[in-house]
Amino acid sequence: MPQKKISLRIDGELVNAVEGQTILDATRASGKSIPTLCFLEGLSPVGACRLCMVEVSGIDRLFPACTTPAQDGMAVATTSARLSRYRRMTIELLLVERNHVCAVCVANGHCELQTMAYNMGITSVRFAYNFPRLPVDLTHPRFVLDHNRCILCTRCVRTCAEIEGAHVWEMISRGIHARIVPDLNQKWGDARTCTNCGKCVQACPTGALAEKGKAMEEMVRSTTAITSLAHRRGAAV
Amino acid sequence: MPRIEDIGAFNAVRETGLAKLTPSVPRIAIGMGTCGRGNGAEGLYHAFLEVIERSGTDFYLTNVGCFGACYQEPLVNVRVPGSPLLILHRIQANDAGRIVHDIATGTINPELVYCKIEEWDHITGSIRYGHGYPEVPLWNEVPFFKGQKKIVLRNCGLINPDDIEEYIAVGGYQALYKTLIDDKPESVIEQIKASKLRGRGGAGFLAGNKWEFLRKAVADQKFIICNADEGDPGAYMNRNEIESDPHSLLEGMIIGGYVMGASQGIVYVRAEYPLAVHRLNRAVEQAREYGLLGDNILGRGFNFDIQLVEGAGAFVCGEETALIASLEGEAGRPRPRPPFPAQKGLWGKPSNINNVETWYNIAPIITRGPAWFTETGSAKSSGTKVFSLVGKVHNSGLVEMPMGTPIKTFIYDIGGGGLDGRSIKAVQTGGPSGGCIPGEMFDTPVDYESLAQLGAIMGSGGMVVMDEDNCMVDVARYFVEFTNSESCGKCIPCRVGLNKFLRILNRITLGSGQMDQLERLDELSRYIRDCSLCGLGQTAPNPVLTTMRHFRQEFEDHIVSHRCVAGICAELALAPCENSCPLHMNIPRFLELYKEGRMEDAFESVIMDNPLPCSTGRVCQHPCGKRCRRQTIDDPVNMREVHRFIADQILLTDRFEDAARRVAARKLETTGRKIAVAGAGPAGLTAAFYLALLGHDVTVFDSLPEAGGMLRFALPEYRLPKPVLRREIELIERLGVKFILNTRVGFDISLNDLDEQFDAVCLAIGTWKESWVYLPGTELKGVLPALTFLEAVSKREAVNLGRKVVVIGGGNAAIDSARTALRLGASVTVAYRRERKDMPAIEEETLAAEEEGAKIVFLSAPHRIIGDAKGNVKALEVVHTRLGEYDRSGRRKPVLTDQVQLLDCDSVIVAVGETVDLDFAKASGLQIKDGSTIEVDHFTLETSRPHFFAGGDLVTGASNVSGAMGYGKQAARAIDRQLMDAERWELLFRPLHYGQTPPKEPSESGRHHSHAVPARERANSFDEVTFGLSPEETHEECCRCLRCDAAVEVSR
Repeated sequence: MPQKKISLRIDGELVNAVEGQTILDATRASGKSIPTLCFLEGLSPVGACRLCMVEVSGIDRLFPACTTPAQDGMAVATTSARLSRYRRMTIELLLVERNHVCAVCVANGHCELQTMAYNMGITSVRFAYNFPRLPVDLTHPRFVLDHNRCILCTRCVRTCAEIEGAHVWEMISRGIHARIVPDLNQKWGDARTCTNCGKCVQACPTGALAEKGKAMEEMVRSTTAITSLAHRRGAAV
Repeated sequence: MPRIEDIGAFNAVRETGLAKLTPSVPRIAIGMGTCGRGNGAEGLYHAFLEVIERSGTDFYLTNVGCFGACYQEPLVNVRVPGSPLLILHRIQANDAGRIVHDIATGTINPELVYCKIEEWDHITGSIRYGHGYPEVPLWNEVPFFKGQKKIVLRNCGLINPDDIEEYIAVGGYQALYKTLIDDKPESVIEQIKASKLRGRGGAGFLAGNKWEFLRKAVADQKFIICNADEGDPGAYMNRNEIESDPHSLLEGMIIGGYVMGASQGIVYVRAEYPLAVHRLNRAVEQAREYGLLGDNILGRGFNFDIQLVEGAGAFVCGEETALIASLEGEAGRPRPRPPFPAQKGLWGKPSNINNVETWYNIAPIITRGPAWFTETGSAKSSGTKVFSLVGKVHNSGLVEMPMGTPIKTFIYDIGGGGLDGRSIKAVQTGGPSGGCIPGEMFDTPVDYESLAQLGAIMGSGGMVVMDEDNCMVDVARYFVEFTNSESCGKCIPCRVGLNKFLRILNRITLGSGQMDQLERLDELSRYIRDCSLCGLGQTAPNPVLTTMRHFRQEFEDHIVSHRCVAGICAELALAPCENSCPLHMNIPRFLELYKEGRMEDAFESVIMDNPLPCSTGRVCQHPCGKRCRRQTIDDPVNMREVHRFIADQILLTDRFEDAARRVAARKLETTGRKIAVAGAGPAGLTAAFYLALLGHDVTVFDSLPEAGGMLRFALPEYRLPKPVLRREIELIERLGVKFILNTRVGFDISLNDLDEQFDAVCLAIGTWKESWVYLPGTELKGVLPALTFLEAVSKREAVNLGRKVVVIGGGNAAIDSARTALRLGASVTVAYRRERKDMPAIEEETLAAEEEGAKIVFLSAPHRIIGDAKGNVKALEVVHTRLGEYDRSGRRKPVLTDQVQLLDCDSVIVAVGETVDLDFAKASGLQIKDGSTIEVDHFTLETSRPHFFAGGDLVTGASNVSGAMGYGKQAARAIDRQLMDAERWELLFRPLHYGQTPPKEPSESGRHHSHAVPARERANSFDEVTFGLSPEETHEECCRCLRCDAAVEVSR
């Protein structure tokens, strides 16, 4: 069945899209960008980070671009004073939630959270740091899980489930206590479902999942590898 | 029992059911909902069983659900054939024998009877019980039920929830039968749409539209889901509905399944509701047995089954997508919509989710039609809504009212107002997603739009009433604590935003908040509301936004003055008594010091907190007593009398000199700053006392010939003997305070002069202008304002009242005038337009006035004063009033009737309130508020004119002695802080160490009262009318204190 063509306005510009595409798909296809953290092309979108919130004209509330279908005739604003305020708030809250110390992080310079903060010009935060006491799991022979740097985007969870099919990762607990755990809250080294493929490490936007042996700034990764793998396995675009 | 497949079988079951509902023998039914069981209904059931077996008479004993009046549990229904159904309340096991005996002999004990039902409209059918018992009120004549319309709760508390036959007897499953026979699903959807039924879960989406979506969805399987995951704190409507009438839910769902083309229904019910789960399972089994559920329902070839799933207690699972995730065995985390459940729901199949209460409305709409349904409720919100009315309200329980009923009807008419006459501050609707609505807005109709306008929501129907003992900051913190711990953790605004929210609110309740954090809260609120993924986060800021909007002062009090007016935030309040005292006297400290035998220290504690202790010991309104926790055992500690005793023992004896020296020794070094205080009343004297102690040079100006203000010239001698007051003023003079009397500020000395001569000015002028009633005849001879009268008497001027006096008013001035007039030999009548409980006067004073022979006529508003030919007063004509609607103060408004009464009299004293004479403030640069008071900063009491501070009645309007003194104290502290640019307040006080051990067991002694002179002896004399406590009584009174303040570790 040929897909129905639709057109919508994004920041005033007329953009063509096909039915079924999300606002984010349509925006990116037209060469524009919307900030995202939990979104990774090839994985099912979950709408968790709320960075991609956009305004749709005529409707008061905001919509996550990654899960909202583009509709014919829709007029979308991807930037506004309000959206910038909210996006900045999201990044600030992430920075104070756990212990993000860039200077000693393996992902320093290659971190999506850090890049986002740079781009928004965030030099300080307005909230007190939480400084939670969080463990580092070093039990896996090749990889490290550092909860201090996790932003709970669940890209690892989805990569493992949707691409590798191993379903190692899951989120436990609620609210501020939520954490990523392998299997039924095992040590990663004891997780029998883990195939040691390392795709989750590639998908991680921060230094939460990293390869052992990497020092500060050395954890360079490729999320595009995940995306192309996903496409090869037939994930919907 | 055979399956029901035709109308004949239906009717047969109906007959059997009717024979149980209205049997030929007396029927006794025990209310066995969770609320009834919690109050001992199970034991009651067994007690009845035993008594009946022993009596050998024939009874039909059964159980029913809850009729809604939870505050009257356990409820028992009793019906003798041919008579009305009686609802008995607060029945205990040992009443069983008496009740069974009464039924056998055809009598009733009126004390046990709550109300009667002569006939009942079950909507789907009706039952006629019979007429009789003329002395017993009908159910809807009882205040709690007046105006209620039971559509959802049509069967609750009347039929046995475990018996499908009783449900069928009242017309149950007829709507299903009709739907299947008619076989027109589209027309059913049209009916639901026409009824404008909105989802009762809170969001208020039109149910008919939702149904249409699912009906139109094409799929091999569709699901019908009932959301019974009721998790709001304080809400239990759904629990009670299922417990009392599970079949109505099943019927609604089966109809829904048929109409929408689904074959499977699921009830997602909280595991915390074991009784509801049990009864629902039972109902499902019975429905299957009777052919109403399962394959080939009613022989019409329709297959539909219902399955129960118990939720594991996560609040977020009430959100529909999280509920679906939970049903699928995943963690209960919401998913983004779209896709909506009607497109892609449970297991990816189109699904419909409706709240329990929505399903309960289906059968009535089908039976009576949409036109009947829209008759009830408001234009946009039709039908009724069930609320659980709980919290600080007299009558609590389940209330079903038409949509659009104003809040005040719920609170005052049905709820009966606050507990122990306390004033109600706010009502919280919608649980953690809702908001607090302040008392001033109780006119608001309860419907989806009106509540949303106030920032609250209808929610699933929790209505939590809060009174002056509830701290609104703590309320906001409580709800955020709840949502923070119930957040699923998926999206950032809710997970981290709420956590930050909670940390800020925690800091404010601990007294370490900052003003800019209020801005931060506001900003976070908007962010969380706009950006969260699901309803939990989007609505979680509501409790904070509404409390900040309507109760901002409380937030600021917590942050700036570290005070929690409600006394809830433990770090900000020593004890409830101290917290409620306008002077913040450390009451537990002087009680303990006296108990320890340290009289000098006890006196120091008293005098340093309150410079006029002998006066307040006699005339204070003692708000401390209202808050005292000893009330939970017997009566409040008589704190006023204890401090009166301590002060009298020192100030009124030869220990005065020594005490005065000790107080003077606390004086700080002379600062050289000159301060003027305008007004020598309680506020002015208090300010002068502290300013002098702080080392300033204080001069007090007053227009009257003696210092003391209202204490001297308005309070009658019999309440406060003037030598007592003079002693207190002498102590203040010993500190170096100068008094310039007969000098009216603003006239005899201008404000500009004061400004030039002094470094700061404290304005503490009282309310000396009598509010006047504009009645025909006030110009007659013999009409006089209360203050003029009291002042004249206190100056020992001759006042000719004649033989008969009428006083208009119900405040302290009215009662003081009445008692003074009695002492001048007149016979006195007080006319008050409201009821006794509404009188602002101190209750003891009113009672004393009556003992002395004053007559009080209530519900009488003055109409005109009639004079004789010579222009003298002859009579006051009053119009009788009746109590109308509730006003903002929570009192009923008096409404004039056409009944008139003449009160013969020779003079009329008008005491309807006092105001400040603001003439002095004309062109002074002082900002005036509402034309009656001086505008000041709430915390520093600084006026709009630099160096000018104001406190007391001048700022609040007429209040009372301790209230005014509290302002004087606050003003002194603020003036010193500004003049000296330092916080020196604490330097005044010597640390007093005292025992911190609460009594192991509360002392057994009851409250000691001051001793009144017998009415006959005191009524003709201006001598003091009460004697204080004896030393022994004082000691016992101190021992009664429970020491809420004690700083002890609680060992578990």
